[in-house]
Amino acid sequence: MPSSVPPFLIFFIGALVVPFLKDAPRLRAVWLVLIPIVGALNVWGLQEGFEVQVQLLGYTLTPVRADRLSLLFGYLFHLGAFIAIIYSLHLRKGDSPTVQHTSAVVYAGSALGAVFAGDFITLFVFWELLAISSVFLIWTRRTPSAISAGMRYLLVHVVSGVTLLAGAMVHAHNTGSLDFGPMGLEGLAAWLVFLAVGVKAAFPLAHSWLIDAYPEGTPTGTVFLSAFTTKVAVYALARGFAGEEVLMYIGAFMACFPIFYAVIENDLRRTLSYSMMNQIGFMVCGIGVGTTLAVNGAVAHAFNDVLFKGLLFMSMGAVMYMTGKTKASDLGGLYKTMPVTTIFCVVGALSISAVPLFNAFVSKSMIMSALLEEHHYWIWPVMLFASAGVVEHAGIKIPYFAFFAHDSGIRTREPPRNMLVAMGIGAAMCILIGVQPQLLYDLLPGEVDYHAYSYTHILTQVQLLCFAIAAVAAFHLWKIYPAEIPSVNLDVDWVYRRAAVKVTRFTGSVVGAADGAVRRAFLGTVRRTMRGAFRAHGPRGILARTWPAGSMVLWVSILLSAFLLFQLF
Amino acid sequence: MSEHKPNSVPQPWWGRILIGFFTLCGIVLAMDFFGRPEKHHPLEEWPVMYPFFGFFGIALLIIMAKGLRRLVMRSEDYYDAE
Repeated sequence: MPSSVPPFLIFFIGALVVPFLKDAPRLRAVWLVLIPIVGALNVWGLQEGFEVQVQLLGYTLTPVRADRLSLLFGYLFHLGAFIAIIYSLHLRKGDSPTVQHTSAVVYAGSALGAVFAGDFITLFVFWELLAISSVFLIWTRRTPSAISAGMRYLLVHVVSGVTLLAGAMVHAHNTGSLDFGPMGLEGLAAWLVFLAVGVKAAFPLAHSWLIDAYPEGTPTGTVFLSAFTTKVAVYALARGFAGEEVLMYIGAFMACFPIFYAVIENDLRRTLSYSMMNQIGFMVCGIGVGTTLAVNGAVAHAFNDVLFKGLLFMSMGAVMYMTGKTKASDLGGLYKTMPVTTIFCVVGALSISAVPLFNAFVSKSMIMSALLEEHHYWIWPVMLFASAGVVEHAGIKIPYFAFFAHDSGIRTREPPRNMLVAMGIGAAMCILIGVQPQLLYDLLPGEVDYHAYSYTHILTQVQLLCFAIAAVAAFHLWKIYPAEIPSVNLDVDWVYRRAAVKVTRFTGSVVGAADGAVRRAFLGTVRRTMRGAFRAHGPRGILARTWPAGSMVLWVSILLSAFLLFQLF
Repeated sequence: MSEHKPNSVPQPWWGRILIGFFTLCGIVLAMDFFGRPEKHHPLEEWPVMYPFFGFFGIALLIIMAKGLRRLVMRSEDYYDAE
C-alpha cells in the first residue's frame, strides 16, 4: 500500500512516548521494537519519486525525497535501528535507559531525515540533530573520559553542521536554489559542503572524533553510533560528489593509514573504530571512481558495513558488558564461557575480511572491479593492501585477543538473551547477503550486472586471505607480532588535546607577562606623575603655597628693575 | 602484558589447526599454477601474485606498525596527566 508519511516522523513520535514508559519496561521494549518495524513498512510503501515540498521565504524546501539511493539507506537504517534496539532492550535503571533509548530513537530518526532530505536546510537540521542526539549515547557512560570525548565529538559535529550551512547559503546565493543534488567540486559552496561531509565521513586529519568518541560510548550506544553518522556522510558523498577523482585518493589513504594504528591499538573497540575508518575508505574510493558499478559497490558496502561492523561492535559490547573490559591486554580465553558470542564475533570477522559466502565479499569486490575497469592501476594495489590489512586487525586480532590468545582467567557467562538475538540477526544477515547477493543488488540505486562468485575472484580472494593469515600466524610463531601493551597511541587528536593546550598555555603566559609589564610601566608612570603633581600642587607644593603681598611687590620690583636694566644697556 | 599468562587454547588443538591451515595455503597456492581465466591488471600476470601480496603485505604492515608504535605510543594516563 502506498505511503506518504515522512520516515523520520515515526521515529520522532516513537521517541516522544519512550519517557512515559519508564516504569513499564516490558511495554517499553514492545514499543521500541515496533518503531523500526512500523517505520520499515512505511518506507516499503514509499514510491520512488515521492516528494514533500513546502515554501519558505521564497525558497522551495523538500523535507522528503524518495529515490532509489535514499530508499536504500532508508531500508538500511531501519534494519540497523531494529538490530541495535533489540541489542539494547536489557538496559535497566543504572544504565539510564530512558535517556539512551530516547536519544537512540531520535538519532535513528535524524539519520532517516538526513537521507530523505531533498534540500540543504532540511539536511542541516537533521545533520545537527544527529550530533546532538547521539552525544547522549556517549555521555551516559558517565566516566570523565566519556564526558570529555562527548564534548569534543559534539564540538566537531556542530562545526561540521555550521560549515554545511555556510555552504548551503553560498549555494543558495549563487543558484537561487536550496536543492541538494550532484554538486561537483567547483566553487566555494561545493567545497564548504564537501568539507562538512568530509568531517562527518572521518576523512584523514578530520577523523579523530571517531577514534576518540566511539570507544567511549556505552556498550549499546556504540552499536547505534557505528550505524548512522558515517553512513549519512557516505550517502551525502554519493549524492553530491560521485565521480570526483580526489575522493579516490582520499579513500585510498583512508583505507590504508588506520590499519597501521589498528595493529598496535590495545583497546579493541578503538581498533574497531580504526577499522570503521578503513572500511569507509573503500566506500569513499568507490564514490570517487563514480561509475555505476563503483557507486553501487560503495553503497552496497555501506549497507554491509552496518551489519558486520555492528556485529563486531555488538560482540565487543557484550564482552564489555559482561567483563567491564575491552582491552586486549586484559582479555583472552573468553570462548570457554561465551561460546555463542565467540561464534557471532567470528562471523563478523569473516564478513569484514570478505571471505566468500560472507557479505563484504559481494560488495568490496564491486569497488575493486570498478577500479580495474576504469584502469586505476595505481590505486588498485593500494586497496588490495588495505583489504589484506583488514584480515589482520578485524579478521584475526579482534576475535583472537578477546576470545582466544592467552587465558586472562576471566570466567563470565553469555550476555543477556536480547543481545544474543541481536547478534544472531546481524550474523544471519551477513551470511544471507553473502550467499544471496542478489537480494542486496536488487535494492541498489543503479542497474547491477555483476557476478561476485566467479572462479578467479573466489580463488584470488582465498589466496590473499590465506597468506595474509599465514603472515600473522608466522609472526606469532616467531614471536615478533606486536604485543598487546596498555597504552595510548598519539593521533591527530593530540593536536587539540595536548599541543593546542600547551600552545594556549604558553601564549597565555607570554601575553600575561607582557600585559603585566605594560601595566606595571603604565602604573609607574601614573604614580610618578601623581607624585610630581603632588609635589607642585600638594599642601606644601610650590604652586599651592599662599604667598604674602610683600613678596609679590618684591618680585614685581625685581622684574621691573631687570627690565629697566635691559632697556638702558 | 599478557605473555606470561597461559595459552587459552590447548597446544594440541593449535597444532592441528595450524597444520590444517598451512595445508589449505599449500592447496590454494598450487591452484594458482592451474591458471586463472581472468586477468585485468599487469600485476596479475605474475605467478602467485595474490599469495605474495597477502603474505608480504601483512609482513610490511606489521613491521611498519611496530615502527609507528615507537613513535606514537605513550602511557595510558598520558592525556589524564594534565
